[in-house]
Amino acid sequence: MQPKVITLKVNGRRHAVASMPNVTLLYALRDLGYTDVKNGCEKGDCGACAVLLNGKAVNSCLVLAWQADGAEIVTNAGLGTLDRPHPLQAAFADTGAIQCGYCTPGMLISAKALLDATPHPSDGEIREALSGNLCRCTGYDHIIEAVQLAAERMGE
Amino acid sequence: MKSERFRVLGTVTRRKDGIGKITGREQYVTDISLPRMLHGRILSSPYAHARIKSIDVSAAEALGAVCITWDDIPKVRYNERIVTVPWALHQDHYVLADKVRRMGEAVAAVAAETEALAEQAVRAIKVEYELLPVITDPVTAMQPGAPAIYDEVLLGDEPVKIERNIACTREIEEGDVDKAFAEADVIIERTYKTPKIYHSQMETKSVVCRPEPDGGITVWPTTQSIHNVRILLGRIFGIPLSKVNVKRVPIGGTFGSSIQMNPPIPIGVALALKARRPVKLTLTREEDMHDHTRYPTQIHLKLAAKRDGTLLGAEMELLADIGAHNIQAYSFLGVTIGWLVSLYRIPNVRYRGTAVYTNKAPSCAMQGFGNPQVTFAVETLMDELAETLGMDPLASKIKNYVGMGDTFWGQGPMVRSVVQSDGVQELLHQGAAWIGWQDRPKSGSQTGRYRRGIGLARGFHTSSAGAPQPGDVIDFSGALVKVNQDGSVDVVTALMDHGGGTLEAVAKLVAEALDMPLEKVDIAPAETMSTVYDVVTHATRGVYAGGGAAVKVAGQIRQEIIDTAARFLNVMPEALTIEYDPEVDQGVVFSRSIPDRRMTIGEIATRCWTNSWKTIAAVDSYRPVNCPPAYVTTFVEVEVDTWTGQVRTLRAALGSDCGTVINPDMAAGQLEGGLSKGMGFALYENNDWDVAGQLLSKGYLVDGKTPAIMEMPKPEDIGVYFAHTCEPSGPFGAKGIGEAATNPVAGAFANAIHNAIGVRFYELPITPEKILAAVRRKTDAVREKGESQAGGEPEKGLVGTGGELQ
Repeated sequence: MQPKVITLKVNGRRHAVASMPNVTLLYALRDLGYTDVKNGCEKGDCGACAVLLNGKAVNSCLVLAWQADGAEIVTNAGLGTLDRPHPLQAAFADTGAIQCGYCTPGMLISAKALLDATPHPSDGEIREALSGNLCRCTGYDHIIEAVQLAAERMGE
Repeated sequence: MKSERFRVLGTVTRRKDGIGKITGREQYVTDISLPRMLHGRILSSPYAHARIKSIDVSAAEALGAVCITWDDIPKVRYNERIVTVPWALHQDHYVLADKVRRMGEAVAAVAAETEALAEQAVRAIKVEYELLPVITDPVTAMQPGAPAIYDEVLLGDEPVKIERNIACTREIEEGDVDKAFAEADVIIERTYKTPKIYHSQMETKSVVCRPEPDGGITVWPTTQSIHNVRILLGRIFGIPLSKVNVKRVPIGGTFGSSIQMNPPIPIGVALALKARRPVKLTLTREEDMHDHTRYPTQIHLKLAAKRDGTLLGAEMELLADIGAHNIQAYSFLGVTIGWLVSLYRIPNVRYRGTAVYTNKAPSCAMQGFGNPQVTFAVETLMDELAETLGMDPLASKIKNYVGMGDTFWGQGPMVRSVVQSDGVQELLHQGAAWIGWQDRPKSGSQTGRYRRGIGLARGFHTSSAGAPQPGDVIDFSGALVKVNQDGSVDVVTALMDHGGGTLEAVAKLVAEALDMPLEKVDIAPAETMSTVYDVVTHATRGVYAGGGAAVKVAGQIRQEIIDTAARFLNVMPEALTIEYDPEVDQGVVFSRSIPDRRMTIGEIATRCWTNSWKTIAAVDSYRPVNCPPAYVTTFVEVEVDTWTGQVRTLRAALGSDCGTVINPDMAAGQLEGGLSKGMGFALYENNDWDVAGQLLSKGYLVDGKTPAIMEMPKPEDIGVYFAHTCEPSGPFGAKGIGEAATNPVAGAFANAIHNAIGVRFYELPITPEKILAAVRRKTDAVREKGESQAGGEPEKGLVGTGGELQ
């Protein structure tokens, strides 16, 4: 196995990385310091490692880093800033949608992909969009409310 | 939302750790990296029961890895959960296995420069195993001649022989049980089975350890108790506690799985000490699933009652499959009888509990510590008893429940106190009205593909394991509170917050107690070196005991502020009061009779500094002498698809009596999370093992069937409500909530399914397969009796046998 230099554009910053062919995007991102991309299972079960890959929400544990060569990647930390959190992020904090917080970055990414395509989602559309993200703490309902609230605020 | 009684408590605020969590800045253990840090990996056993004949690490070392095996670890036997006093503690565990007793057990470990190299090194280790017969069934394990998983363990410091794989037993009897059963009008008995489900916390267990130049260690672990990790590491590695510093790190869910010190922690420490470099070690999901589960139980429960529904006595026999290690079996067997006699007034009770080793993942506490299992049995049997007697189950609960003034066994027979706040009837009536309890269908009366039913179960959990006298459960907390030079307040506590908002509640309690705004009260980062002892955030004790400690210390600070102001203002302290002044947004000390003599808390703190005098600070410990019941009720409405066997949750009314509600949105979150986890326990989850001790899910969360978003009812179909109570022994009237939230859920589902299709289920999870089989049996039975009787009286005895009126 030989490494290859690939380019990852993460949250607007370009990184040139020498990466082995068996390295997942999850590991490549975390090695670059994007620890907001959480490792929950490495099997595509839990969605904690979700990122936007060219605008589409993917489980970064199921994507090889080489496959993301040249792609635009957005992690949860890239959605908003501490001073100006993204409306989705703010809504999660305002509705009690966060408890331990470990699933939160992945949830927010899935929700962002949903609102990008469907600004006013129905309850069913929210559930479908978040059906690949597991949360053991909240029972999900505050998360649904958070996405609804964010959609309302963004529509104003 | 704003509370009428309090300024800060009961108000919805954006949680202090919220901004870090939403923007991805929160750092969990696996996110920590240190200079020169190595990456660890564990060599996990591929067999469930085997003797290790030899280990060859030379190929791994040739790759540059640091390796540890049995030869490298301290030969100290320990129990990873030290909540029980040392002399009552069973110890059967070493840092690495002497003999493999479960799949996934750590046999050796490596540390290398990269994760990839560590993986390569761990694969290069050669182990020769001698395979031993595997026992996965607890009943088989107890048969004479069954292969021995242990020959001997330690109880305290004394070796004890293990016979027939029985780890321990407990027998408890109170009153005259034979007389109670002889005098009963009705006796009903059933056998229940509950599965070995996995905690499914989103973060797998992890540790970072840095050896220090003075021979000490600094440790960042996933844990619910930094102090207990410290005590254990100090003992195992022979390091004075003053040189073992354990840091509090946010935890990605736990639900009881880190009350004990998880295996990566001592293994990571052993690697770091040998490598003399920092090491990070994180379990894979599959390793984690082999490491901890809820106790699976078989419960035989027998109730004696009068014709009017009054309970006279009970007998309970409980068999717990504890898996490959005894983490807390003795206390488990004690608390389970406590859950029974604290749900309902049962004056005469006989109990026998048995805990058995098997070659599976160690069982441990999981949100409720036996309470969800026992409450499932009790609440479905109470439902059946009420049905047998022709009573409304709600009325039979009100008749018999342990409430105000009754003695309550908080955590087993040695933890008893008297109930001083009781919102049970309010919860029952409010939930019944919300869900339409009186209009529910007659059980088994429906025909057609989709059948709806409403079920009710109640429950509770103990707030802490506090009691008037010390028992065999350690329970106390402590806090340090100091007023900074600008008047802001640091709260230094070793308490853990698992995400439910425990530390947010502590900040609010201190802000309320000191008449300060919440923005000026913060929770300091914590480590064992600079905090006083807190046992562990478990037993629904975080707010009650940990918050109780903070309020106790805040009371001392309040007095010191007054005494200090008395000197500055030249007014007798007895004449001074503190009140929050919205004009200056902080507490103000003043005398009502001399209004111009006043100082803000900030001014007092600044003056203490500029006068070169002191820091206003106090530190103290707090032992709760009660363990009040946090009551809950769950009403659920389900729809059973009799063609597919699937159960859909339509609506739920979740009521909690947690005393004063401190974080209303987070308390609601506990109840909704409890519904999701309880629903998983009731309907979906089972972490099955095959006869070779292999996990059938192979480490896949979706195969273990962790509930996802699709299964939850719509937000508007969940009614969350709180009783209007105030617990006299709690901080500002608060009790606990967390574990209580799941305890009654499975019983409510079983009762709702019975209401829908007229069939009782005694084994969890109630899967579509079981429902289809039961529906088929029922249809066949009806057909045999003739179509004319279909849809009539509730049919009993379709699963198990019916209750008998004597």
